[in-house]
Amino acid sequence: MEIEKIGRQMKSLLEVPSNRHVKIVSIIGGKGARQILAQLGVGVGSTVMIRRNAPFAGPLLIENHGTSIAVGRGVAAKILVEEV
Amino acid sequence: MKIALVGQPNAGKSTLFNSVAGYKSETSNLPGTTVKYTESRVRVNGDVFELIDFPGTYSLSATNDAEAEVREYLVSSNIDLIINVIDASQLGRSLPLTLELMELDVPMVLALNMYDEARRKGIDINTSELSGILGIKVLTTIASKNLGVRELFYAVKNIIKNSQQPERKRIRCQKDVEEVIGELEGYLRENLLLNNPYPHRFLATKLLEDDDYFLKSVAGENGTHLSHKIRKLQNRLVQLRGKPQDTVLVLERHTTAMDIFGQVVKIGHPVRDWREKIDDIVMHKIAGYVILVGVLVAFFYGVFEFGAIVEGFLLSGFDKINAVLPLYLDSNGFSFHLVKALLWGISGGVAIVLPYLIPFLVGLTLLEDMGYMPRVAFLMDAFMHRIGLHGTAVIPVVLGYGCNVPAVMATRILPSRRDKIIAGVIASMVPCSARSVVIFGLVAFYLGPLWAFFIYLFNIFVIASSGKILSHLMPEVSPGMVLEIPPYRMPSFNVIKKKTWFRIKEFITVAWPLLIAGSLILGMMEYFSLDHWTNLALSPLTAFLGLPMVVGTTLIFGVLRKELSLIMLTQALGTTAVISVLTTTQILTFTIFVTFYIPCVATMAVLSKELNRNWMLITVGITLSIALVLAWIVHISGVFLL
Repeated sequence: MEIEKIGRQMKSLLEVPSNRHVKIVSIIGGKGARQILAQLGVGVGSTVMIRRNAPFAGPLLIENHGTSIAVGRGVAAKILVEEV
Repeated sequence: MKIALVGQPNAGKSTLFNSVAGYKSETSNLPGTTVKYTESRVRVNGDVFELIDFPGTYSLSATNDAEAEVREYLVSSNIDLIINVIDASQLGRSLPLTLELMELDVPMVLALNMYDEARRKGIDINTSELSGILGIKVLTTIASKNLGVRELFYAVKNIIKNSQQPERKRIRCQKDVEEVIGELEGYLRENLLLNNPYPHRFLATKLLEDDDYFLKSVAGENGTHLSHKIRKLQNRLVQLRGKPQDTVLVLERHTTAMDIFGQVVKIGHPVRDWREKIDDIVMHKIAGYVILVGVLVAFFYGVFEFGAIVEGFLLSGFDKINAVLPLYLDSNGFSFHLVKALLWGISGGVAIVLPYLIPFLVGLTLLEDMGYMPRVAFLMDAFMHRIGLHGTAVIPVVLGYGCNVPAVMATRILPSRRDKIIAGVIASMVPCSARSVVIFGLVAFYLGPLWAFFIYLFNIFVIASSGKILSHLMPEVSPGMVLEIPPYRMPSFNVIKKKTWFRIKEFITVAWPLLIAGSLILGMMEYFSLDHWTNLALSPLTAFLGLPMVVGTTLIFGVLRKELSLIMLTQALGTTAVISVLTTTQILTFTIFVTFYIPCVATMAVLSKELNRNWMLITVGITLSIALVLAWIVHISGVFLL
């Protein structure tokens, strides 16, 4: 199972272009941002849509069950995802 | 009957509160507008309720100060019933909080608010089925239009008075996770030493969620055996779900919520939503900033053009009254001075403050209620990172343009103490509406709007530099921005009217009487030549900045309320034609000094409450030094350049 995960394309949220759906595989770092995201229903296993990811230009905008959430680039770098 | 309004941010709790209590709690389309609770005794359908409006909270695990306060209060005070206010168009995301609130074992009613918006989105909620699943009465409301509110309170009364509560259902997680919670719950029931007000199951969930507050307060006092138990069960959760222990149960509740959502909601065809299209432009990486600048410039000139016309017109009226005054009273007598001072106080409020304050507040309310502010936070995130903060910290800063007091309070939405301190200090340097009156009424009115615009830009530059220096002194990685962007909403004319009035009332009832009293005191001081002494005492300062000695006293009044220094300046100079007695450099020096020096007393009070006394004193020190240095630079460059 572990090997399978590594085998598939895992990347940080930052590397995903706009208008793609991704599944969250892991959120690294402290529990601060992780808990705030979880309250908005975003956590390991969730599928979210990247509405906007402009490289080098401010935060990402993601959508989860009709809620738009702005995620700073620092936080996004810690969210590991795979495209679905 | 003590009723609590609880719900997620921006669900419309305050709107519901205001619809029965009159406008007492500030509302806007901005998550986190309410950071402290507002209580009011209200009468609905002839019954009296004690209603408490709480800050929005996504869950009962406190990730910031505002949320912690909700949880404390909910459990420690005897609340008869919780009205869980839900944004009906966001039902799925809102239910996890409902599930948590149910664990508190307090009678509850669900208010599906903004029901019209849900319908527009094509969301059809089967309320009786939802009520059946939860065992809670469910009602629909549109608080902004006052629809369904009376029915809601009628139901509330029936539940409390006649215990007409449907049978409460227990919502359980999936079996494997439920076993873990059950094990800890049982353990707590048998072994818990301290007298705790929380239901055991609620406590068990929070401990398993790794909630720092409960780990410290409960596990800390109950020895290592409990800590081991928690650790062991947490590990089991991690194994079961493959997620970090601090999010397993939170996400589990979400899954349960989505299940319920799927059972009770039919999603039809949404009415085409133009609002997402707007965001493609408003939050665009280039167009977004062009629009932001455009909005600010339009806002600035709109306020100025309106204010200047009215100010000019009113001032000439008061000048005429002043001119005829010597015909009726002896110009050397005491009563002449008294009437004249009174006139200064009244005219200052009517002619100088209100012409700018009203359009300023209407504009600010429009921007807040439409939902533009979170977009500003989104756009400013990169910039805020430059100064060591992140986008969420924009919210206290922009609120500061209205008044610094709520701005400092709004720092409660920031999860880290360090971010809170930096944001609090810089928020108190933002020119609030009172200081804007000085900038508009003095600089823009006499020197032209371009100069005033320059002062605002310069202020942003100083704030950014101060933020940068502070974050440099307190190096710490801040958790970064996670902020919900709410949909645009059309602010109703009625709400704008009430909210502007709510804010202006503060000026009319508190600041204006103070202003009139101040004018009278200054008038008396002048009559008895007492102002000579205060001016003399402050003469080192005024001389240092190249200002006439008579402005010294006005600077003291400015600490009470910022507008006072402008109005009393005209009084101290003895004329509203300021330009005839002060040079351009002196006007700029005075304005820069007043804009930056010492926050007003109300801001000082809130700074010591939110941060602490030391930070308040540090802020006073920082702002005073900045004001001195900058005003001196303006003075010196003015002497050489102009």
